[in-house]
Amino acid sequence: MIAGIDLGTTNSLIGVFESGFPTLLADSDGNRLTPSIVFYPEREKPLIGREALRYHAISPERTVASIKRQMGRRLGEPGTEGLSGRKGDPAVLHVADRVLTPEEVSSEILKRLKNIAETRLGCEISKAVITVPAYFNDAQRAATRKAGEIAGFIVERIISEPTAAALAYGLDRLQDRSKIAVYDLGGGTFDISILQLDNGVFQVLSTHGDTMLGGDDLDGEIASLIKRRAKVIPASSQEEIRLRETARTTKETLSSKELCTIRLPFLQEDKSLELTITRTEIEAVCAPIISRTRMYCLKALEDAGVLTSELDEVILVGGSTRMPLVRKYVAEIFGKVPDLTQHPDEAVALGAIIQAAILEGTLRNVALLDVTPLSLGIETFGGLMNVIIPRNTSIPTKAGEMFTNAVAGQSCMKINVLQGERELAADNWLLGNFEIPFSPSSKGAARIGVQFSIDADGILQVLARDTHSGEEEILEVTSAVEVSDEAVESMLAGSLEHALDDMDARIFTENRLKAEEMLPAVETALKQLSFELSEAEILQIRDYAAEVTAAMESKETARLKNALSSLDNATQSLATRLIERAMR
Amino acid sequence: MPDPFSLLGLVRRPLIPEEMIGNAYRQKAGTLHPDQPGGDAGAFRELAEAAATLKDPSRRLRALLENPAHSSARIPPEASDLFLKVAWILQYSDRLSLQYTTSYTSLSKALLRAPAQSLLLELNSTLLQLQTWRAALDQELELLDLGWPSHDQVGVLGLADSFAYAVRWAAQLRERELALQEIFS
Repeated sequence: MIAGIDLGTTNSLIGVFESGFPTLLADSDGNRLTPSIVFYPEREKPLIGREALRYHAISPERTVASIKRQMGRRLGEPGTEGLSGRKGDPAVLHVADRVLTPEEVSSEILKRLKNIAETRLGCEISKAVITVPAYFNDAQRAATRKAGEIAGFIVERIISEPTAAALAYGLDRLQDRSKIAVYDLGGGTFDISILQLDNGVFQVLSTHGDTMLGGDDLDGEIASLIKRRAKVIPASSQEEIRLRETARTTKETLSSKELCTIRLPFLQEDKSLELTITRTEIEAVCAPIISRTRMYCLKALEDAGVLTSELDEVILVGGSTRMPLVRKYVAEIFGKVPDLTQHPDEAVALGAIIQAAILEGTLRNVALLDVTPLSLGIETFGGLMNVIIPRNTSIPTKAGEMFTNAVAGQSCMKINVLQGERELAADNWLLGNFEIPFSPSSKGAARIGVQFSIDADGILQVLARDTHSGEEEILEVTSAVEVSDEAVESMLAGSLEHALDDMDARIFTENRLKAEEMLPAVETALKQLSFELSEAEILQIRDYAAEVTAAMESKETARLKNALSSLDNATQSLATRLIERAMR
Repeated sequence: MPDPFSLLGLVRRPLIPEEMIGNAYRQKAGTLHPDQPGGDAGAFRELAEAAATLKDPSRRLRALLENPAHSSARIPPEASDLFLKVAWILQYSDRLSLQYTTSYTSLSKALLRAPAQSLLLELNSTLLQLQTWRAALDQELELLDLGWPSHDQVGVLGLADSFAYAVRWAAQLRERELALQEIFS
């Protein structure tokens, strides 16, 4: 029996296909949702889910939440803020005295789910289908697969979340022929997929998304709002976490109510917090984040070649789509009222279970045709990206490229593999590199065919074939994201050495760059707005600009920072006026 | 590479409605996908490639010819003005987007509004011109389909090239349109 698992940023679920239906399995307390939180006690085994949740506010330094945002990430990439180590190294977490990879933390959640299923079913569950955001790249998918393996699963398939949700939606509409969009805004990620349903065949036409956009970001904005309104500055990470948890419950309350009263007794030693927040207030701070989903929706529609008028349904999934503001935005983008028939927290897991049933052969006449979300290519000589498999190609797929030796006797050639949509190689995500082996031959005589295949999990494999000898070899793509134990050790040592890296010099450079951009911009703006500004205004701004120039020359970091922020404040009104003028 | 028309069970013609290709693809893919009992990864990939070939008018025309010569890679003379405009818009909009994303201050971002706005107008008028050209090509394709199978090899290749440019430029412009709109959001 293959289990279906939704490994979410905030919550995770597991289930199996039983007597013709996907069924979610609950723990001994009757909960189907397991919070994706792990607490690491000093000596004992980690606690997972609700048990760990209790410790989150008490000992945040021993608790890991939202680990999904760090899966397959390198330091310096979004999601790794606050982690120490050298830029470009794989993300590792320092939890009290332990060093953990994101895969290890995720595997604890998966182990817990495995245990829930085995307790419920009374048999061993060793195979699983695990969901990932559609816009996860190769490394993020591979990391998820690895987490499953560490947890003791044979991972039968990595499946995209919106695609899974579409399966859940379409299971009782197998005779339909329709075009649908799945708008999936979860705890940490956003995906939009456009699908064509046709007599039990689910074809993904296009997919887009952002793996750093979700409920977590909304909570962050609402927490800042509460801090501003209550005039509190959290003094510890405990206080910060209490505020964030309050932000989340406030958001949830305001999904059905217009007003929410917040009470935080003894947040700080002598201070309790009590204030009332309205839905309008949180909508104002959340709108900029939610509006970012618009562009992704338009891009997905463009790639699918589908007009909003041709869509039969827009399906909402993911916990964050409970927010009325999200529903309003979706209705605006697609010009139709979204379909709310799917359970926001459960649809993805149900879809994973359905995919498991397809793979098992228990569910016949249902087929899922998914695509690769990102273009795959290699770096060319001039530093450009040469696309080999374009985005939205059906998977599994393969594409080949022929290579030859540039000089006689050349023994190998190093190739960088990239994922992304930008023209310059450096702007894309470097998936890793591999070496093509050449047998000794004269210049241009070696002939090596390299085959890039993306499997049904969306994970890359590279195969080289010598066309002379016919020999084949699987090339290892060395990804910077895989960590060995020794690498973790050396990283630990390294992070301490570099911890005190000339901070002051770096901050000065950052501010100098800002100043170098600001000064000419001020001049241009003054010129363009010269008729609208008074003599006094111009003189004052010039004074601030002169102070920035002086501060740069003085090489004093603090002085430059202050001068810049004064100039920035003084020119705010110029920016507004420029925008108004452009709109006229 | 096997013949894409026969793989999908479609008649060899210049004009095939996109929906028909999609339907034929899904019907066959539903049984050929490797997850299905008796499915096959290699056959599935060939089918997917065949559908992609037939959906693209340029590649479909080439697939119709017995011996398609290599593309001349020359810009069709009727589109040379359009080409210069498209190239300029692509370059300029990429520069604006880059400036926008690398700006530190709201003032320098605000300064980019006016040029982005006028570029967007230029882009939209070019897209319209491109649509007019595309409509003319579609008409030519229809004529070719009416007279099929009689055709002139050089003419078909020329039409295939024109389609390739018209499709690519439109996609590139629409992509830049979205990028420029991002500056306003």
